Amino acid sequence: MVIDEEQVMACAMVAMPSIGQSRLGGLLLRQTPSQAWKALGLNDDELLARMEVALEHHRIGVTYIGHQAYPVALQADPARPAVLFHQGSLEHLAHRRVGVIGTRGATASGRYMASHLGFDLAVNDVSVVSGLARGIDAWAHRGVMVADSRGQRIAPPIAVVASGLDVIYPRDNAELWKWVAREGVVLSESPPGTAPEAFRFPLRNRILAALSEVLVVVESREKGGSMITVSEAMKRDITVMAVPGSPRNSSSAGSNLLLQQGCAPVVGVDDVMVALGLDHRRCHPQIYDSRPLPADFDLRIIEAIGREALTLDQVMMRIGSDLVPTAVALGRLESHGWLANTGGWWEVLGQLPRERYGGNDADTLPLTGAHDR
Amino acid sequence: MAFALARSASLLGIHGEPVDIEVHVGAGLPGFTIVGQPDESCRESRDRVRAALLSSALPWPNRRVTINLSMRSTVKRGGSGLDLAIAVGLLVVQEVIPQETVDRFGFLAELGLDGSLRSVPGLVPLVAAIDDRRVVVAESAHSSVSVVSGDRVVGARSLLHVVESLRDAESWSVPRLEGSVEAPQNDVDLSDVRGQLAARRALEIAAAGAHHLLLVGPPGAGKSMLARRMPSIMPPLDAEQSLQSTIIHSAAHVSMPNGGGVSQAPFRAPHHSVSLTAMVGGGTSSLRPGEISLATNGVLFLDELGEFAPSVLDALRQPLEEGVVRVARARHSVELPARFLLVAATNPCPCGEGTPGVCVCDDRMRMRYFRRFSGPLLDRFDLRVAVTRPDVGDLLDTAPAESSNEVAKRVARARETSLKRNGVTNSSLSGELLDRFAPLSVSATQLLRTHLERGALSGRGFHRIRRVARTIADLDDAPKVVDEEHVAAALALRVQLQPAVRQW
Repeated sequence: MVIDEEQVMACAMVAMPSIGQSRLGGLLLRQTPSQAWKALGLNDDELLARMEVALEHHRIGVTYIGHQAYPVALQADPARPAVLFHQGSLEHLAHRRVGVIGTRGATASGRYMASHLGFDLAVNDVSVVSGLARGIDAWAHRGVMVADSRGQRIAPPIAVVASGLDVIYPRDNAELWKWVAREGVVLSESPPGTAPEAFRFPLRNRILAALSEVLVVVESREKGGSMITVSEAMKRDITVMAVPGSPRNSSSAGSNLLLQQGCAPVVGVDDVMVALGLDHRRCHPQIYDSRPLPADFDLRIIEAIGREALTLDQVMMRIGSDLVPTAVALGRLESHGWLANTGGWWEVLGQLPRERYGGNDADTLPLTGAHDR
Repeated sequence: MAFALARSASLLGIHGEPVDIEVHVGAGLPGFTIVGQPDESCRESRDRVRAALLSSALPWPNRRVTINLSMRSTVKRGGSGLDLAIAVGLLVVQEVIPQETVDRFGFLAELGLDGSLRSVPGLVPLVAAIDDRRVVVAESAHSSVSVVSGDRVVGARSLLHVVESLRDAESWSVPRLEGSVEAPQNDVDLSDVRGQLAARRALEIAAAGAHHLLLVGPPGAGKSMLARRMPSIMPPLDAEQSLQSTIIHSAAHVSMPNGGGVSQAPFRAPHHSVSLTAMVGGGTSSLRPGEISLATNGVLFLDELGEFAPSVLDALRQPLEEGVVRVARARHSVELPARFLLVAATNPCPCGEGTPGVCVCDDRMRMRYFRRFSGPLLDRFDLRVAVTRPDVGDLLDTAPAESSNEVAKRVARARETSLKRNGVTNSSLSGELLDRFAPLSVSATQLLRTHLERGALSGRGFHRIRRVARTIADLDDAPKVVDEEHVAAALALRVQLQPAVRQW
């Protein structure tokens, strides 16, 4: 990657606390970075040298307002960043883009939904835009990574982060971060070396919202970063969709609130594809659920748990059964992939047997006389 | 007469050791010296003995008095229990009582300044140490000691009472109290617990197979309530266990029910601020037994496991493995019994809720929360059960649940089956014995194999699951082969606490 002097100067000016974003944005609208640099009477050569080394060492690219590579999606944005840093190619932004966001403290079903949505979107040639935070953000991209590792052709992943691109945060996602930078692009408006300070996350969210054509909230609490992203998206007239969750589940409170306010629900990738104007159902096969259909007692257990998280105790109380048969059935359902156990709480993974994945699956069910649709 | 001898005993750990009190009175400046490594409380006895003799209108020798405490081992002799023997020795040298009579008795009581007799810690093992003669103790303590030692023990109210009784020693006996030992009454019963089906079964399995149990749940879920009902379903102690527990309780000076011996599984629930010494024993010069010894043959309940000092929790590991704790100090070391059933309760995460969706902790916080328990300790819990607050409906509607008595019957039967077959409780079955006594059916092997292959079960966890499955099969009247359903139940009662890094 070749970095020219203009880019280094743009980078150095962002790194100066004395120059505000909006002032820099105004300057760059009319001038090149080097002209602005002179106009401001700057002469910090040491900073320039340091920035050049950091950019080259971490393979960070720079674009700025007026630069030919500045993303089209951001050009018309009222709160566009004056300078944008990236790892990976900006050309990936030419793909169709869907933001998948949510809470950091996700439930097992939230994680399942995020990763499946990521998988399905990527194989349908839609880029997943997310923030590389813990929880839903990471799981959405992890779904894309699984699709990649299985040799599927995927749309490049896109991440927008708050810290400098050389400061990986949170550390647990380092591997995922590097994978996104390799296969897609990681963006940030913070110059190299910027720590993940709390105030940078809401600012990051506005870029994330602006880059999304459709924003899907998988699980969100009533207050939190995801809701900031949602309001940023609404300001920009971007379609916001939400995955319904149990009303008893506080980490779905925010996403359920959005549904109440009239957002379109997402129960599968089809809903997002239709919102993007890419209705593919006639040309794409149903995603096949390989799990054996549960029957009788097993089905009763799944339906008793539903969309909640229950302990062994509560399962036994709900269906009024004894320890041994319940334990046998739970073990069987877990090994078949229907249930997951988190610290003693059982949750149903994926769609319930009666509401198959993908919503409308009239053409996969046998059309019997009783089927009245 | 210039010399006298009286027998008493001194306590170390849970063992008494006889002490011969030699009293010498001779010419010289009036004085009183105790030699032979007396401890602090023993040195004070000079003042107590003098006051008691004077206020009982008994003579005090105004000559040079030397007391020697003679004992086989080299530990410090101690305890105020030597008071009475010293006083009696002093009376012998003044020819108030004949030496021959004194030779037929041992003396174990502290003296009050008014001459009254008081009980001392560890009477049961102390009396047992003086096994060749009758023993005089304070009347207040008589009933609790006589349960174990029978007619050998006589009680007295005061020093004067002792002196008068010794004059007519042949006929000195105190009628044994009739009906003093009542059948132990449980003030708590398992029928008080509504709902909690899985936890109830876990309690039953823990009691039957002596498996350690960890209850994980939010505040108010009834973890302590369940744990407190554990003794009520445990098999009653046999004669040997009862004697052992009585001796430990006596040595630690912990009051026993009905003033008699310990006949029911003890229940100890130390607060989480407990010190290391209070937990494992030691502290005083007589090395007082700690909570883990007091819980021997019974239940040690640790509420809020995460709040205990890590050093205290790690000190439990060796006793959990070996059933004894060796307390060693510079001068001496003792081996104290510590074979207890560990029941612990903890919140599932920092916010306490645990239920996914309600809990506000992320995986990292949960991981950090569980890091404060050492892995080896968590591993020793065969049963790990999540409990939740019962639904309102369960609290109001359900008919009274099974009572402790009914559960206790099943537990006793299963325990008997397993002891007859193994010789030990199911929880102490070693790998080799497991193969012999808990063979797995084909489908059970298959189930365990899939769990091992998925990485959901470690090698150590594998054996623990088999032991619990063995107990579940015993409760299920299947004494031979362990079947798939028993293994499945055992797996369901051992939840993974650390959030697993799950493949989607």
